[in-house]
Amino acid sequence: MKYVDEYRDAGLGRALAGEILATVESGRHYKVMEVCGGHTHSIYKYGVDDLLPENVELVHGPGCPVCVIPMGRVDDGIAIAHQPGVIFACFGDMMRVPGSEGTLLDAKAEGADVRMVYSPLDALRLAKQNPDREVVFFAIGFETTAPSTALTLKRAKAEGVPNFSCVCNHVTIVPPLRALLESPDLRLDGFIGPGHVSTVVGARPFNFIPADYGRPVVVAGFEPLDILQAIHMILVQLREGRCEVENQYKRVVPWEGNMKALQVMSEVFELRPHFEWRGLGFISQSALRLSDAYADFDAEQRFSTPGVRVADPKACQCGEVLKGVIKPWECKVFGTACTPEHAIGTCMVSPEGACAAYYNYGRFARERAVV
Amino acid sequence: MAEHPPAPCVDDHCITCGDEGVAMRVVAVDESRGLALCEEAEGSRSTVEIGLVDAAPGDRLLVHAGTALVRLEAAA
Repeated sequence: MKYVDEYRDAGLGRALAGEILATVESGRHYKVMEVCGGHTHSIYKYGVDDLLPENVELVHGPGCPVCVIPMGRVDDGIAIAHQPGVIFACFGDMMRVPGSEGTLLDAKAEGADVRMVYSPLDALRLAKQNPDREVVFFAIGFETTAPSTALTLKRAKAEGVPNFSCVCNHVTIVPPLRALLESPDLRLDGFIGPGHVSTVVGARPFNFIPADYGRPVVVAGFEPLDILQAIHMILVQLREGRCEVENQYKRVVPWEGNMKALQVMSEVFELRPHFEWRGLGFISQSALRLSDAYADFDAEQRFSTPGVRVADPKACQCGEVLKGVIKPWECKVFGTACTPEHAIGTCMVSPEGACAAYYNYGRFARERAVV
Repeated sequence: MAEHPPAPCVDDHCITCGDEGVAMRVVAVDESRGLALCEEAEGSRSTVEIGLVDAAPGDRLLVHAGTALVRLEAAA
């Protein structure tokens, strides 16, 4: 398939791995964070980390939308789902994210009308098909999915669909990166920038990383050769003493992003003063809520919710995994009490979560290495 | 009776997660509604919002959560 097969060529992959090996300085340890969960998934699926020298360590970042949802927000969604007459619509992964007393799937089993949708547009269609019901869409995701929610809300307003509303959990990518860079727990040498978020925001918003923190960023695609090339580009910057934002994913990511998407987001959303991120705590101006012009579609204003902050289970170490402080397999419950089928933590739910990605692919390589 | 949970995704992309970028080809455009009928490589079709891109039949789009974010040929 065009744009796919040529980025999975094993021979080219080995050649790139050789170039990476030739670029690193012996005696120096490199920590490179892949920000996006999609990269984490690809790294484990294709064994990208197996091709890297021992002194190049990949650290998994917070860019998995399901993984960063705190338990209190799940509880709020479940409370709305249980209200009479509500059809609660969300993406499939979200149904398996644990709140303090179960998941949305558990709520469905208890009688709540929870339905999986593939897009906000599907949820709006549900509202039009069920005019006597309240349809609530549980919106999650970074700047990749936020434009979709924004366009759907614009459509709902234009078409006058009064029984449609949205719980807005959209988050933005820059504030958590700044929080990670400020964290004393972690010292990173460079970042693999999120490819698809950058189709919307462009590469420019990452300029603060080299400018303020002196770390290179390479926006990258999701095929194995994309990731290897991005790592090589970061290592070359470090070797040459350069520090800038580069775009490896030019075939998809325009430097300026998508201005129409940014415009519609600014019309429909506004920044929340604070938002809680699982594992990262409260981060200022890191999430979106509906603007006053769209307040009529805000489910948090239409329904009462507990709105309570809920601490993560003590056994769960998703916070440390999300900050890259520990590897998935170093969590006490990884692969035993916590599996994709029975997840305790969010990182085990989504295929983009570091724990699920490692559980599905990486553990086999590690088991082989141990044998 | 409770449904089985959605299976963890292990394929090339996750059909249940809206945060997955999917390359789709435009089959037909409904300009008045800002929508397009689009097709994935393996043939499955769905309706896609095209309000953020200029799309015509035959174009390849990167689609997230049912919305086209970029026209792939135009980005390079």
